[in-house]
Amino acid sequence: MTSPIIATGLARYFGSKDEPIKAVDGVDLEVKEGEIFGFLGPNGAGKSTTVRMLTTLLRPTAGQAFVAGYDIVKDADKVRRSIGVALQDAAIDPLMTGNELLELQAVLYGIAPNQMKKRADELLERVGLTAAADRRVGTYSGGMRRRLDLALSLIHQPTVLFLDEPTTGLDPMSRLTLWEEVKRLNSDGTTVLLTTQYLEEADQLADRIAIIDHGKIVREGTPRDLKAQVGAPTLLITVAAQLTETATQVLKEFGDMRPTTEGTLGVGLNAGVEAVTDVVRRLDEAGIRVQHLELNEPSLDDVFAEATGYRLEGAKQ
Amino acid sequence: MNTFTPDEFTGTTMRSSSALSTRALRNTRRLPSTFLPTLAMPIFQSIAFAGTFFAITKIPGFPTDRSINWYMPLAVCMGSAFGGVGLGFSAIKDIENGFFDRLRMTPTPRRALIIGPLISCWVRTLVVVTIVLLVSFCFGVRLTSGLVGLAMLYVASLGLSTVAAGWGLGIAYRFRDMRGAAIMQLTLFLTMFLSSAQTPLNVMTGWLHTVARYNPATNILRLARQGFLGDVTWNGVWGGLVALVGLSVLTLWFARRGLDSLDR
Repeated sequence: MTSPIIATGLARYFGSKDEPIKAVDGVDLEVKEGEIFGFLGPNGAGKSTTVRMLTTLLRPTAGQAFVAGYDIVKDADKVRRSIGVALQDAAIDPLMTGNELLELQAVLYGIAPNQMKKRADELLERVGLTAAADRRVGTYSGGMRRRLDLALSLIHQPTVLFLDEPTTGLDPMSRLTLWEEVKRLNSDGTTVLLTTQYLEEADQLADRIAIIDHGKIVREGTPRDLKAQVGAPTLLITVAAQLTETATQVLKEFGDMRPTTEGTLGVGLNAGVEAVTDVVRRLDEAGIRVQHLELNEPSLDDVFAEATGYRLEGAKQ
Repeated sequence: MNTFTPDEFTGTTMRSSSALSTRALRNTRRLPSTFLPTLAMPIFQSIAFAGTFFAITKIPGFPTDRSINWYMPLAVCMGSAFGGVGLGFSAIKDIENGFFDRLRMTPTPRRALIIGPLISCWVRTLVVVTIVLLVSFCFGVRLTSGLVGLAMLYVASLGLSTVAAGWGLGIAYRFRDMRGAAIMQLTLFLTMFLSSAQTPLNVMTGWLHTVARYNPATNILRLARQGFLGDVTWNGVWGGLVALVGLSVLTLWFARRGLDSLDR
């Protein structure tokens, strides 16, 4: 069976032909049926542009992609019938009620009039908005808008669901509720492509992850495999600013330096956790007093840092 | 799991257009401040122009002795045209807040995204023309050629709102932000006023006369005024009808091409 999402050399350039801005620069991607695929990267990495191409909102400059078995350029209409999309910033008309939006969406998807009401009621119940269905969306909270956005994207029971940063700006409780719903949808058989800049979200939800940076995919695999590739645990140390250079020399004896947030030094311990006491002893011998010490098992942030040279949740090195 | 296949969808242009026009009209009701200026301005213009420029009726050969008979059709046409470009403003708002992406991602025929709002524009135009007419009757407007003449005003207004809507949407889809709004208004304003809007063609001279003579708005205004300046004649009607049909086709094509350009 063909994979629901396949992209080969997908690219999108903006600006002039002489000096194009390469928002997406040759992305190869295959999302298998029934999986949650996480697309991880910082703002401006090319996640949303890729999603806009895959959802037929933007034509690629180069490359080819098939979604639900249809070419995104030649069979855009069939792609639209097969996918559900919840874009960044829940684009919802604030003057309309939840019910009205669902009805409009149902009509635009060509759902038969006798099925519309039943389907809308089911979805409102599913996302917990039945009580608010006749209120204008302008009065909804951020979490409610996201849940309505999700319901709208499911009106035609799509086989492939695109979620572009679905939890950005949500409080922790709303985020958990949405994660649960995504998991439930996936267990019902829906293939999900999820873009996110939250490492925890990718780790919790995705079966496989692609890390995108500057328009290119730099790593791809299951979270477990990606972490295993990074290997050694990371020791994070904070020392006085004037001793940073000396401390770096000492730490290099124990492994490669790793990118960290500003003011912290990170080293991958080649000898594993056991080397921590040796590190502290060597720093002490060098006259360096450790202000803070933290040992981290490999995380997706380490994977990201190793692949891109900077941390997703911190400043560029 | 998915229970629909692409072949099971029953989407049609008219069903989608109807839903989109309902949305637009409902939003007008909920946010009347977007509609009231297009109603208030023609009423104000009819009364104010007719009072201020009453002396224009003293020009030898002026086609009516009532200035409101001359200015009311102009005000109605202006209101209809600005109501039409109002669709462009709404489209820009939908594009900027992302709602238009939601519409574009649906499999509904693309023409429905233009026809739906256009239908709502026609409904608003009918309301404006009717109310302005009723108010103008109170201020002394006199119908000179019965219901056929009245029908010509409605035809001109609906046609002009279609032309302006096509123009406004085409600009909105290309600029995609409020920069387009200024272009929509300025071009419309110039087109309307570089015509026989204020004075008859035969009292104009120089370049203004030349421009007004070839400006299709002159023929459209002649059509709109047919019922208020004497009898309805084929000679006074056909030029306006041709201009409306031609410009409607052109501007709606411009809008459709603009809509397609959003994908590129």
